[in-house]
This record gives sequence, C-alpha cells and structure tokens, in this order.
Amino acid sequence: MSWRTSGRIFKLGIMNFWRNRWLSLAATLVMTLTLLIISIFSIMTLVISKTTESIRSRMDISVYFNDSATVDQIVDIQKQLAARSDVKEVKYISKEEALAIFKEQQQGKKISELINSNENPLPRSLEIKATQPEFLEEIAQFVDKKEFQPLVHNVSYQENKTMIERLLGLTSFIRKIGWIASGIFVLISVLVILNTIRLTILTRKDEIEIMRLVGASDNFIKIPFIVEGFLYGFLATIIATILIRIGVSAVSPLIERYLGIDMSARLMRFFSGNFLTIIGLELIVGIVIGIGCSLISIRRYLKT
Amino acid sequence: MIDIVNLTKQYDNFKALDNINLKIDRGEFVSIVGPSGAGKSTLVKLLICEEKPTSGKILIADRNIAKLEPQELPYYRRKVGVVFQDFKLLQQKTVYENVAFALEVCEAPQAEIVDKVPKILDLVGMLKRKDNCPNELSGGEKQRVSIARALIHSPKILIADEPTGNLDPVNAWEIIDLLSRINKQGTIVLLATHNKQIVDRLKKRVILLKDGKMISDRIKGGYVI
Repeated sequence: MSWRTSGRIFKLGIMNFWRNRWLSLAATLVMTLTLLIISIFSIMTLVISKTTESIRSRMDISVYFNDSATVDQIVDIQKQLAARSDVKEVKYISKEEALAIFKEQQQGKKISELINSNENPLPRSLEIKATQPEFLEEIAQFVDKKEFQPLVHNVSYQENKTMIERLLGLTSFIRKIGWIASGIFVLISVLVILNTIRLTILTRKDEIEIMRLVGASDNFIKIPFIVEGFLYGFLATIIATILIRIGVSAVSPLIERYLGIDMSARLMRFFSGNFLTIIGLELIVGIVIGIGCSLISIRRYLKT
Repeated sequence: MIDIVNLTKQYDNFKALDNINLKIDRGEFVSIVGPSGAGKSTLVKLLICEEKPTSGKILIADRNIAKLEPQELPYYRRKVGVVFQDFKLLQQKTVYENVAFALEVCEAPQAEIVDKVPKILDLVGMLKRKDNCPNELSGGEKQRVSIARALIHSPKILIADEPTGNLDPVNAWEIIDLLSRINKQGTIVLLATHNKQIVDRLKKRVILLKDGKMISDRIKGGYVI
C-alpha cells in the first residue's frame, strides 16, 4: 500500500470520526473512564504496596525490660542477639536515652514536663533490626523465650505485625476490587465502542456498498474504521493521562492534611517516574479495545 | 466472452434461476426482459458476484467467476461496470467527486483521476454540471453520473439493472441512447428491464426470462411475454 493510499485512508478515518463527532465523543469518554479506573487502581495498588514494603523494611523489634532486670542480664541478651546471623543491629537504649527520645517526640506538649530524670518510668530497651524483614518473626520468637520472660516487660513486634498485616490485606482487597471494576469497565467500553462503530457503519452503508461495487479492496473499506477505533484509544489515553496528572496534584494535599505525611512530592515523583509505563499501558489497552472492536464490527458487516 | 452454463440459483425452496444456458460475444447489446420475479435481478447479482450460484458456471473470458476468491472480487468488479435503478450516488459529494471516488477507493494516482474524470463526464454529457450535488440533478442526469462512474475503470462489460425504472420516457430514451453509444465503442451492454417500448425500439438481442427459466432468445426481438 502506497503513502498516497495510506494518506487517503487515514483521512477517511479522521473524517468518519469527525462526521459522527457526538458518537465518537461518547465512545472516547467511556474509553477514558475505563482507562482512568484501570490506572487509578494500578497506582493505588502500587503506592500501597510500596508503602507497606518501606514500612516493613524499616520495621524493628523493641524489647522493653522490667526495672528488676540487671544490666548484666540485658547485656547478655544483647550479646546473644548480636551473635545471630539474621540480626543486623542491636542497640541498647538506656532510661536516659529513652527519656531524651520521649521529650523530643512530645516537644512542646505538657506531658513532657510530667516526667523528669529523677522520676523516670520509661523502661530500658533493646532495639533490634533484622537483615531481612522476614526474619523478624523468628527473632521475636527467640526474645519471647521462657528464660527471658521474668526480665522482659513487653515486645513491640506484635503491634507492628498487625498493622503490616492490615496494610497487606488492604492491598490485596484493593487489587481485587480493581480487577473487578476494571473488568466491568472494559466490558462496558467494548460494548459501547462496538455499538458506536456499528452505528457509524450503518450511517455509511451506502458509501460502503458503492465502494464494494466499484471494486475497492476490503482493506480500503476496513482501515478507516480501524483508524477510527485507534483514535478513540489514542484520545482517551491523552485525556486520561491529563486527568490523572491533575488528580495526583489535587489529592496529594488531602493526603497530607489527613495523614500528616507530605505525599505530594512522593506522588509526583512516582507519577513522573512511571509516566511512560502509565501512558504505555493506557495506550495499549485503549488501542487494543478500539481496534479490536472496529475489526469485529466491520468484519461482521463485510461478511453479510 | 460471457458463457453461462447450466446456471441455477436456489433460495430455500424457491428457484430464482433454473438451468440457464447463455452465450454473449464481445460487443453485443443484450436486453434481459421478463416480469417482476422472473430472475433478472438474480442474474445481475450473480454476474457481479454479489451472490454465488447454487450450481452451474459463469465463465467470463474463460474464467469461472463463481469460484473467485474473496480477495480477487475487487479486481473483478473493476472490470464490470454496474448501473442501478436508484443510481446509488453519494449525496454529500459533487458529480465530479462521485466519479472520482470510484478511482480513489481503487488506489488510483491523482494524475489519473484528474485526467480521466473530466473525459468520462464529457462522454455522458455531464461535464458542465460537475460541481453540482446529486440533489440538484434530474433523474436522467443522476443516471448519467452513475453510468460515468460505472465506466471509469474502462470495463469490458456494463450491466444496467432497470436503469430507466425511475425516469420519464424522454430521459429513459436518452439513457438507452447513451448505452448504445457505449456499446458501439466495444463494451458489452447487458440491460435488464421490463420497459416494452425501449426493447421494441432497440431492435437488439432479447432474452426473455419467466419464473427463473429462459423462455426465448431472439437476435432482433421485441418484448413478448
């Protein structure tokens, strides 16, 4: 097929799109919605799983000791822990250090004045970091041993574990919902686009009949509709990407306000870092749906 | 040139064409007549490969067109011009564009379009009206445009299915006159019609169909049912 012909065919496709602009608009918007749903759920899953990952890697076990435990006993446990291959670091936090950390955390609040170094209720503790977050469970079991129990007041691993598990549960829940919603919207947009192209074909029935009569090849008849389907996908990708970009900058301050974490920089970085992946994924989904639907409709029509 | 052998077309339990045998030579003008439902339109549909025969052969230049592959059809259709009763013109395109469209969709170069279209419009007497749209034309003029479009690929065969069906007698005769002139230049013209006056005045070969069967084939016939 020559350049001249391709140009002519492409022009025909764009003309189709423009001639039925309201139909085209509807198809493009439904496609945009589909792409948005898919993108939002993928981004949400990614962000949450990345957050979970980073929390997990920063997770440690704190072992708080009863005041009755002697320094020697604590040092002994510290040595035992440090000897383990799965332990990266064991840090001893004395009462004074604990107080300093506490004061820093509660700076400016009245509660920090209630405690002073003369009457310090804060326990001494060991802060344990694992080489891999997976080993934390085993280390926690080790610290929980019977012989240590009279000395140990509390192990903080359990609390963190529940939170991590909740986050992991949330990720898989969102992923499931995402799959279902994406599936439903892909189905809806396939149906709408199939119908749109079929309507376009019906409005151009005479033209197609004449094209066949005067000896136009099937490809010449088909390709304008495929161009039309491609345009739905292409335009929808552009609109969806712009909307996501706007959405990210609109949502970041909200997250910041509710969670007190500055997410906007992180989200923007995430967005620009994965820009090509996002746009590529959208483009593939959009174009596959658009062109696929065109092919199905026109093939069915040309057969009859 | 055209050799139809034992041609039968069956729709469910209705035989539209029943064992037709027919030979048409280069340069002939053949009228196919008969009442409605005689099988004229079915014969036209089979000749332009719009439908496949149930049995029998249609040999055109010794090639059985019933056996053409789908991808060969466009090339066959460029060698056969067709004209219909309802003209089948695109309303939003001008006379010139309607004819040029037939070349465009067959991937012809622009130079060929610019060269051929005015010539063919001149031949059918429509060059002066090339910038008009079909709704500004009379029935006779529309049919001329549709003939021009059918002739644009310089076909060896021109099939006209009731081309005068929507026209008054004067316009109808002008169209037939145009078809005769085209025929004189060497193109086979197949005219399916039930217009008695036209067939009687033409004094050309007449094939009479009735209930799907060929009743008569007369060299200089009139219209007899």
